[in-house]
Amino acid sequence: MRVFTAVIAIAVGVLVLLGYFLPQAVSSQIILLDWAIILAGAAALVGILNLVNVHADKIRRRAKDGIYSAVLIIGLFATFVFALVLKPQNAYVQAFVLKGIIIPVEASLMGLLAVSLLYAAVRLLRRRSDVMSIVFIVTAGLLFLGSATLPFGDVPLIGTLVRPWVTQIWALGGARGILIGVALGTLTTGLRVLFGVDRPYGGN
Amino acid sequence: MPFISLDLITGALSFLFTLMILSYLIGDNPLFKIAVYLFIGVASGYVAAVVFWQVLYPKLFLPMSNALLAGAYNQGLLLVAPLLGVAFIFMKVSPRLSGIARITMAFLVGAGAAVTLAGALTGTIIPQVSATIDFFDPQTAAARNIGAFEVLGNGAILLVGVVTSLAYFHFGASQKPDGSTKRFALIDMFAWIGRIFIGITLGAIFAGVYAAALTAFIERISSLAIFIKTLFGIP
Repeated sequence: MRVFTAVIAIAVGVLVLLGYFLPQAVSSQIILLDWAIILAGAAALVGILNLVNVHADKIRRRAKDGIYSAVLIIGLFATFVFALVLKPQNAYVQAFVLKGIIIPVEASLMGLLAVSLLYAAVRLLRRRSDVMSIVFIVTAGLLFLGSATLPFGDVPLIGTLVRPWVTQIWALGGARGILIGVALGTLTTGLRVLFGVDRPYGGN
Repeated sequence: MPFISLDLITGALSFLFTLMILSYLIGDNPLFKIAVYLFIGVASGYVAAVVFWQVLYPKLFLPMSNALLAGAYNQGLLLVAPLLGVAFIFMKVSPRLSGIARITMAFLVGAGAAVTLAGALTGTIIPQVSATIDFFDPQTAAARNIGAFEVLGNGAILLVGVVTSLAYFHFGASQKPDGSTKRFALIDMFAWIGRIFIGITLGAIFAGVYAAALTAFIERISSLAIFIKTLFGIP
């Protein structure tokens, strides 16, 4: 089984990769990626089944927060049946599920982030006042001040000169370094999987 | 005309859930927990329905039944592999049979690795390196009405930022005779400068995220006020 799974992963990876460089391999790449989309969808369903299992277990064990798990499972099944019968793009599903629950909760959680981020920034200065923390807070403060909409317009110098210069030159340099670093890491990890060195599918 | 309109129900639900989530500002409480657990359940149920209607049904079940009904068994055969893959991955639910799911996981990991590898190369490394080089291009600078001195100055800062930020993530070190390890002095110096650039970048990202979060907070408070005003007919 170990060798078989490694052969599947390497063969699929090489065939998909070849599709980017050889026109003859494009058709096989499209078929394999179509299959991957179907399997990723099924994997998402398995993930949701696992969520149900974990919370059903909490209810069975009469755990401390079991009542919340019951709320989660009722909400999950009710929404699933509702959206499965009427289809996700139905006006009632959109109104109740998306506009009534998902979007307001996400926006409110994002709103709570404003308070928790401010608290985190204050804690950072109190606990770790080194060069990086000071640079971080000063940059954030300057940029926030520079982007604020005030009755008289932009803050002189900070809004018109400092903010564009910091975001378009200094921050861009650091962001490019981080992005290229992440991409190099991704590239290395992908190559390790394709060479069979790493087997995250349980083939070790 | 219905007695209770759909907009009113949506507005009431939105009002209720916003209040429940914002109640966290006075501390962790059961209302907040109910809202969060229900949100996770509802979002998962919705995702499951979307996966069925927009992935499994149009890409697997519908073509398979069409092929079988039309007697086009060659087309149907092409869908046997993903159908088997779906069956295998569902065996992950059972601890005894979960080993079979590794076949599907291997397929997904192989395809995912190839896609991310190509994406990282053509979507990030090549465009980002090209953009850094192009910054020094005198023709591009002239088109943007930027002087040569400004291009060289800003381009140097940008280049130093890219190189030193990358050096910050270089953890290669040489081993001394006593067994201790130390980074090369030049890399260490570059990494120190890189820390300042990373600090500036993270500060800029923080300012952007904070502005977005504050906008969302103001929008939610405003939606609460609008719902109350509409409900009681306050102008």
